Amino acid sequence: MPRRGIRGGLLKFIREDDLDQIRFAIVEVLAEVGVLMDYRPALELLADHGARVDWSTSVVKIPEHLLEKALATAPSRFTLYGKTPEYDVKVDLERVYTIGGSCALSVLDLDGNHRPATRQDLIDLTRLLEEMPNLDIMHQIVVPSDVPELGYELINFATCYSISKRNYYSQAQSAESVRDQIKMAAVFQGSEEEVKRRPTFTEVVCMVSPLKHEKQNSEVLMESARHGIPLYIEVDALCGATTPAPIAGTLVEQGANVLAGVVLAQLVNPGVPCIFSIASGIMDMANGAYSGAAPETCLIHAGTAQVAHMFGLPYQGGTGIDAKLPDAQAGYERALQVLTNILAGTNFVHLSYGMMEQMLLASYEQVLIDEEIIGAAFRIARGFEVNDYTLSVDLLARVGPLGGHFLTQKETREFYRKDRWQPTLTNRDTWDAWQAAGGKDMRQAANERARAILAEEKPWAVTPEQAAEIERIAQEGVRKAQQRR
Amino acid sequence: MERTELFSKMQQAVIDGEAEQVESLARQALEQGIEPLEAINQGLIPGITEVGRRFERKEYFLPELMMAAEAMKKGMAVLERAIAERGIKREALATIVMGTVKGDIHDIGKSIVATLLSAHGFDVVDLGVDVPVEKFLESVLAHNAQVLGMSALLPTTMPYMRRVIEALEERGLREKVKVVVGGAPVTPAYAKQIGADGYGDDAVAAVRVVRELLGIKEQAQ
Repeated sequence: MPRRGIRGGLLKFIREDDLDQIRFAIVEVLAEVGVLMDYRPALELLADHGARVDWSTSVVKIPEHLLEKALATAPSRFTLYGKTPEYDVKVDLERVYTIGGSCALSVLDLDGNHRPATRQDLIDLTRLLEEMPNLDIMHQIVVPSDVPELGYELINFATCYSISKRNYYSQAQSAESVRDQIKMAAVFQGSEEEVKRRPTFTEVVCMVSPLKHEKQNSEVLMESARHGIPLYIEVDALCGATTPAPIAGTLVEQGANVLAGVVLAQLVNPGVPCIFSIASGIMDMANGAYSGAAPETCLIHAGTAQVAHMFGLPYQGGTGIDAKLPDAQAGYERALQVLTNILAGTNFVHLSYGMMEQMLLASYEQVLIDEEIIGAAFRIARGFEVNDYTLSVDLLARVGPLGGHFLTQKETREFYRKDRWQPTLTNRDTWDAWQAAGGKDMRQAANERARAILAEEKPWAVTPEQAAEIERIAQEGVRKAQQRR
Repeated sequence: MERTELFSKMQQAVIDGEAEQVESLARQALEQGIEPLEAINQGLIPGITEVGRRFERKEYFLPELMMAAEAMKKGMAVLERAIAERGIKREALATIVMGTVKGDIHDIGKSIVATLLSAHGFDVVDLGVDVPVEKFLESVLAHNAQVLGMSALLPTTMPYMRRVIEALEERGLREKVKVVVGGAPVTPAYAKQIGADGYGDDAVAAVRVVRELLGIKEQAQ
């Protein structure tokens, strides 16, 4: 049985007629302002299909008919494959899933130390994330300080892909890296043909705002599309700095930027899955910092869901929070952000586990706390049903007004187990009972749970022999990357 | 059916909260000539004990706990009737008078505790809600109760529990009964402050506290 997420989309901030205006604005920017693409093969392909290219500036203007053609072939429904069928993720425009990650440089470890991330942290955090029931897609949560900068993504691929049964959210610094990753997946899947038929990993390409596709982005996008590897086409707007300060203006920039990538991907390989993705935030005008958890950032992420879905594309939103510790700030930031995204119908709520300090810090404890918050938020988004059974008139008649109760009714026992979310770290005891059980706060409870999970050695998703072969390909790829420089 | 098989079926039916099944298994035990007391001790009690353990481990929650208690009571009714018919009087573990104090009409918490206590073999006299001092005292005397249980949900009605305890003292009844209190705003410290003998945080704890106060071991039933 594949994973089928709950349906989001109850929360809408944009009226239908305003949504039309956003669409017109995006189409106008694509056709009349254009996007800089610093990669000649991309410009040539777009020019061949009717885009207007200024070869002196590398700016390409994409007419509406070309956009429409791309949107007609970009699928709204597809599967992201896990290593076993129960980890397959059925994507459409309504269902909501979660992604871990991404790329923190430091960790807050279980002894309370703040220090640079190591490869051992990547292993341990990935093992921890693998045990989170509400996690759907695995992503590298840290970039270890003890691996080479050039080709680090291959080492991270070898680590996370080998540990996790979930679809792996990867990234690449070059076309060669994409090919090396296909080779690594083929070690598990049997052949490169099988990888292309049922890709067990995806690639993210992160565009620059305003309106810029770096050479490396276009190269990786085209190479991935060529092999049928699904793409998260992402823009990381800094609202007020790299995109206009009004949220509507930021939605327009994001739309034009992402859709230029979608057009390119569909020209390379019509039908390749493209996920409209953002990790945008506002700039805090006091210190210039990216704020992933500001209320305005939540609005950007919710609004973008409507924009992406208007174009028929599944959507990835969500980002890190700003707190430095698993404290009250972390709790409120994550809760508002996750709940807003889930209710808005963000199909992939990204960076939703353990990511703090403007995406610089990964906390072991926060991973567990975020699982709890996500569980509660999914429960709210699931809502409640109204029908004859749930209206319970017959049951009310049976118990009656003469001093009965519902605890011993079969319906109660049947229903509450399915209906209620059962917390694991949340404490609902009275002060005395809580004290009697040790009086632990949520962070302490998360710490104990994390230690217990990590103490239990579980087999990795691939065999030790496969892991060794995948590691060999990664190390070889790193060596080649160093030589190319 | 083998005795051991029958007992384990009875246990399972209690654990599953299947009242009708427990009832019919209790009848079957009697038809097979099993001593009713043995059926209680080896069929029903281990079942409800296991349910209590699951509740404390947070595998079972209130609906399962309550359905098991109801099933237990159904089985007990059949078996106790048989004991009475044989002219033997099965002594209840103790008689407990309980109620929600005057001014407070909250029923459910106290009822859960009452159900669970009676499922564990206590005779429970449930006075209901909004119970005045006089009614508590009369009932303790009339039933020769060993335990008085009081419940309050409101911080404003909680002090009434102290009034009841003072009245017990005035009538010279305080030494005769153990007083156990509970309810959302009640804490162990408050229970001590008003001179109660025990406090239970939930229904399973209430059973444990009553047993401790009366010196009854868990398996001694």
